[in-house]
Amino acid sequence: MEAIISFKDVSKTYQMGEVEVPALRGINVEIIKGDFVAIIGASGSGKSTMMNLIGCLDIPTKGKILLKSQDIAKLSESNLATLRGKTIGFVFQQYNLIQTMTAFENVILPLELQEVNDIFAKERAKKMLELVGLGDKMNYLPTQLSGGQQQRVSIARCFVANPEIILADEITGALDSVTGKEIMGILKKLWVEEGKTIIMVTHDLNLAKYAHRSIELKDGNIIRVGNNKKIRRGVAA
Amino acid sequence: MRLIKCLKHAFGMVVHSKIRSWLTILGIVIGVASVIAIMSIGAGMQQSMTDQLGGLGGDILTLTAGSSSSTSMFGGGRFSSRTSSDVATDEEPLLERTDVQVLRAIPNIEAVDTQISGNVDVNYLGKSGSIRLTGVDQKVWARITLSKIKEGRMLDSADQNVVVIGGRLAESYFDKPIGINQMITIEENVFRVVGVLDDSSTNLYMPIQMAYQMLDDKENGVYDSIIIKIKDEEILNETLVKIEAKLMLVRHVTEKTKDFSISSSADLQQTRSEMLASMNAFLLAIAAVSLIVGAVGVANTMFTSVLEKTKQIGIMKAIGARNKDIMLIFLFNAALIGLVGGIIGIIFGVILSGVLPALMGETMILRSGTFVSIDSIIIALSVSVGIGILAGFVPAYQGSKLKPVDALRYE
Ligand SMILES: Nc1ncnc2c1ncn2[C@@H]1O[C@H](COP(=O)(O)OP(=O)(O)OP(=O)(O)O)[C@@H](O)[C@H]1O
Ligand SMILES: [Mg+2]
Repeated sequence: MEAIISFKDVSKTYQMGEVEVPALRGINVEIIKGDFVAIIGASGSGKSTMMNLIGCLDIPTKGKILLKSQDIAKLSESNLATLRGKTIGFVFQQYNLIQTMTAFENVILPLELQEVNDIFAKERAKKMLELVGLGDKMNYLPTQLSGGQQQRVSIARCFVANPEIILADEITGALDSVTGKEIMGILKKLWVEEGKTIIMVTHDLNLAKYAHRSIELKDGNIIRVGNNKKIRRGVAA
Repeated sequence: MRLIKCLKHAFGMVVHSKIRSWLTILGIVIGVASVIAIMSIGAGMQQSMTDQLGGLGGDILTLTAGSSSSTSMFGGGRFSSRTSSDVATDEEPLLERTDVQVLRAIPNIEAVDTQISGNVDVNYLGKSGSIRLTGVDQKVWARITLSKIKEGRMLDSADQNVVVIGGRLAESYFDKPIGINQMITIEENVFRVVGVLDDSSTNLYMPIQMAYQMLDDKENGVYDSIIIKIKDEEILNETLVKIEAKLMLVRHVTEKTKDFSISSSADLQQTRSEMLASMNAFLLAIAAVSLIVGAVGVANTMFTSVLEKTKQIGIMKAIGARNKDIMLIFLFNAALIGLVGGIIGIIFGVILSGVLPALMGETMILRSGTFVSIDSIIIALSVSVGIGILAGFVPAYQGSKLKPVDALRYE
C-alpha cells in the first residue's frame, strides 16, 4: 500500500534562548493513504510537534519528511502554502476560527485563497455547513456559536477544499463528552464517506478507539504502533 | 488569492477595527485638508495678484511715496531716509499736486492718473460688505487702465455719483447681481453703476473727488499713488531717470534720502510672485508636516494591527494563504485608510477653502477668493494613498513573513 506520509529519522528541537528542548528524537513512521491514525501519548510527548510537521507548518531540525513522495524541505514557500491549502486540512483544539468573519466566510476562505470560482465556492461552502448541521447558522459569528458548533464550522472549513489528509489536534479537548462524541461522529462519517487519510491527536483512549491505527509517543520517541482490528472502513465504532 | 478578494478582506479589516481605523483616518484627513486649503489659498493669492496688476501694462509706471517696494524687504527705503541726518521733516512723505505738475511737464509722459484707495461699506438691496474703493482721475483712467468694460461704460469727465465695478462684485458678491444703472449705497451715499469690468475682481472705481468724500482719512490733494503712462516705451529708461531727477528736485531729496519709489508693473509682478512663492513653500511645508504625522499614524496602526492579527495570519497560512496574500491584504488595508482619509480630507479642505476668505476678513491677499484645482485634488488623493501604502509596507511585510507555527501559537 502507498505511504502518503513518511518520516525518515525526523528530529525537532526547539530553541528556548540558551536551552535546547528536544521534542522529537529521530522518528521513523509511515502513514498509509486512507488510514485513520490516532497519535497518543502524555502531555509534552511531542504529538503537536509531529502534527505541525505533517501539516507543513514547521520544518524538522533533522531528517526528512515525504508528503506524497515530495520532500517538504525542498518546496518553496508558495508551494508549501498550496499544499497546506489543497492537500491538508486542519482542525484545531481551539477551533481557530477568524472571529470577525461569519461561519460561512470562515468556511469559504480556503476556497478564496485557492482562487476557486465564486459560484462553485459558495455552493460548496453552503453544502459543507449543511453537512455538519449548521445550514441555519451560516451567518453567525463564532462568538454567537457554542464550542461544539464552532468546532463543526472548523470541520466544515477543513473539508471544504477536499483535502486528502485531515489533521485533527485534540479537537474534542475543549468540548464536553457528549458534544465530543458528536464531533467524532461527524469526523468518522466524513472518513467513511469520503475516504480521507485522517490523523488525530488525542489524550482520550476512548476516542482513540475510533481510529484504525494508533501511534504512541513518549518523550519524543515512538514507543508503540498498534492496529485496532475492530475498525474498518465502512464500519462505525 | 485574487486581488478583489484581498481587497474585500482588507475592507473587512477597516470596518472591524472601527475606532482605531477612524482615528488613523482622522490624521490623514487633517493633513489632506490642510494641503488642499493651503493650495487653494495659494491659487487665490495668485488670482488676486493678477486681478490687481492685470490692469497695468508695460508702459505703465506706478509712483508711490515712501520706501521702494524692492528695498523695503531689506529694511531700506523709508527707514534709511528717516534716520538720515539731512532729512528736514519727520512727516510721512506724501504725493501731492506739485508732483503731478512736474510729471505732466515731462515730454514722454502721455497721461498721469492720481489714485486713492481704501475700504468702504457698500450696501446693496439690504446686504452689505466691505469693499475696496479706488478713486481715479476719471479724465485719464479709461485710457490708462487695461481693464476692459463688459457692460455699460467707463467713467468720464462729467461723472459725479457714479461707479464702475469689478465683474465678481457685479455677479456674485451680493445675493442678487448688480446690473447697469442699478443704485448701490456707499457709506450712506447713493451711487449709480455705469459700468461692469470684464474681470473677476471686487474692485470699485469712482471719480477721485467723490472718493475723498467717501474715505474720511484721505486729505484732499494727497494721493496714494500716481499712475504714469509712457508715450514711447523704447525710451522708458531715460524717461525713468528724468522722472526721478525732477521729482527729487521738487521734493528736495537726494539719491540717499529719496522718499518715493517708481515701479513698473513688471517689477511689481516679479517681487510679488517671489514673495508669494516663498510664502506658498512655507505653508506647504507646514501642511507636509501634518501629512507626515498622518503617515506615522498609519504605520503605527498597521504595526498594531499586524500584531493583533498574528493569530489570524497563522490561521490563514494554515489553510493555504501565501505570503503574498497576507502582504496584499495588509497593504490594501493601509491604502484604504489613506484613500478614505484622502477623500474626507478633500471634502473638508474644499469646505475650509470656501470659508477661509470670510474667516480671514477683507485682507488683500484673498480678495479674489480661493480656488481648489482638480490638480490639487488628484495630488492630495495620490499622496494620501501613497502614504498609506508606504507606511503600511514594512508592517505588511513583517506580517507576511511570520512563520505559521509561531503565528498560530500567538495569543
Ligand atoms: N514553540 C516551542 N518552543 C519551545 N518548546 C516547545 C515549543 N513547542 C513545543 N515545545 C516543547 O516540545 C515538547 C513537545 O511539545 P508538544 O506540543 O509537541 O507536546 P504535546 O504532545 O502536543 O503535548 P500536549 O498533549 O500537552 O499538547 C514539550 O516539551 C514542549 O515544551
Ligand atoms: Mg499538543
